[in-house]
Amino acid sequence: MKKIVTLNVNGLDYETALEPRRTLAEALRYDLGLTGTKIGCKIGDCGACTVLIDGVPSSSCLVLAIEAEGHEIMTIEGVADGNKLHPLQEAFVEVGAIQCGFCTPGMVLTALALLKDNSDPTDAQIRRALSGNLCRCTGYQKIVEAVREAAKRMLRTC
Amino acid sequence: MSYWYKPERLMRLPQFDYHAPGNLVDALNWLRDNEHLNVRILAGGTDLLVDIRGKAIPDGHRPRCQEHRSGAWHARSSPPAEIDYMLALSHIPELRTISHDGNRLLIGSMTTIAELEDSADIRTKLSALSDGAAQLGSPLVRNRGTFGGNLCNARPAADTAIPTLALSGKLVLVSAHGERTVEHDDFVIGPGESVIKPDEILKEVIFDLPDNPSASAYIKLANRKALEISVVGAAASLTFERNDSSPGSTEIAGFGKVINARIALGAVAPKPLLIPDAGKALIGGELTDETILESARIASEKARPITDHRGSAEYRRMMVEVLVKRALTKCRERMLKQPVAEVQS
Repeated sequence: MKKIVTLNVNGLDYETALEPRRTLAEALRYDLGLTGTKIGCKIGDCGACTVLIDGVPSSSCLVLAIEAEGHEIMTIEGVADGNKLHPLQEAFVEVGAIQCGFCTPGMVLTALALLKDNSDPTDAQIRRALSGNLCRCTGYQKIVEAVREAAKRMLRTC
Repeated sequence: MSYWYKPERLMRLPQFDYHAPGNLVDALNWLRDNEHLNVRILAGGTDLLVDIRGKAIPDGHRPRCQEHRSGAWHARSSPPAEIDYMLALSHIPELRTISHDGNRLLIGSMTTIAELEDSADIRTKLSALSDGAAQLGSPLVRNRGTFGGNLCNARPAADTAIPTLALSGKLVLVSAHGERTVEHDDFVIGPGESVIKPDEILKEVIFDLPDNPSASAYIKLANRKALEISVVGAAASLTFERNDSSPGSTEIAGFGKVINARIALGAVAPKPLLIPDAGKALIGGELTDETILESARIASEKARPITDHRGSAEYRRMMVEVLVKRALTKCRERMLKQPVAEVQS
């Protein structure tokens, strides 16, 4: 039986009727139309569906949408400020950390949470933080460089 | 091909209803009143939501290509689980606490793995558990997965279960009819099987903190640093005689003989395996290179590993010796608060 659930995504409340078995990833994509969140493996191995739940990176394929009620969810759509990309997104583009782009939303959100906790992470810390997000294209080097570059820029601006 | 093997049935989770009580008493009463239903208890969901999904591709111990060739491909796949209700514990704040009670540390079952990893109390007093938490799954799994969930899954390689066994964690199981405390060694009875009853919930795990100086460590051997199930895991927990003057003590200044030692192994038996003999080899003497080697040798003899795609039984047995040695060396390092060279056999 469907239940009425209010999801707070990127600062907006979305009220929607969901089956309890709906995962957060499915709800975001199919019910709310926020297709920036990708669904890869559906078993928590790939990290493509990463969203921030109360600022904490989580695999949205392993969270029931109904369990996310009452929490603040941030998806890739909420990272940029209107048409202006976040410095982290800019760094991903400029450094060449994006190839097919499927892992990118998850990578950006995980990196964003890392930079919030640790404004100047070492390469080892970046790699450890991103270890749950798989990328089959880049070989990770460019992604690590992008996060390092973004950290540098974000430190400069504030 | 059985009827459930249809892509659309594997796309989503199976149907279930959802109940999320706001406190433990309500949850237990609800479980008692709904005994006739097929209920699964949802903690972090990082394993449960994977397990209840039907599998087109089997996840047994043999590589996929072999399954396919032998024609057993479908037989080893599994249909989606049939569940009436999902009882979520996420709205019960009393289960998500880490607290002190005199000389005991109480860890609530809904404490996430990331919280275990970040807790300074656990890092200093239950170092092995902190080691295990830091190596479980990936950061994404650790952020959602819970201590109680990892224990109740009762997998033989669970990264928080091996340290819990070594550190003599006691599991408090509650039901509407009462409460019981079970040693971790008695809790798990086989792969994925534990003594927890359908109407029971794991409330917390109690660790007695020794007054005497103590150290513990957990070492995991795996092919990758993240998202990996260990080939072998070894945890050691040592308590020492207090010896402040330490005139005779050569090995560890300020600490005397070992008075209690527990060695636990993961992924070498159908359940987390305690090796009492490996602990006994250390008790009564100082922690020296010789006793470390002897203890590691005994652990390797007593392990009961199997061969699967993660490693052969022979390799696992050899690695038990190395890992126990490293875990004990790490304990020594933690007592001395400085790096020590690995013991060479």
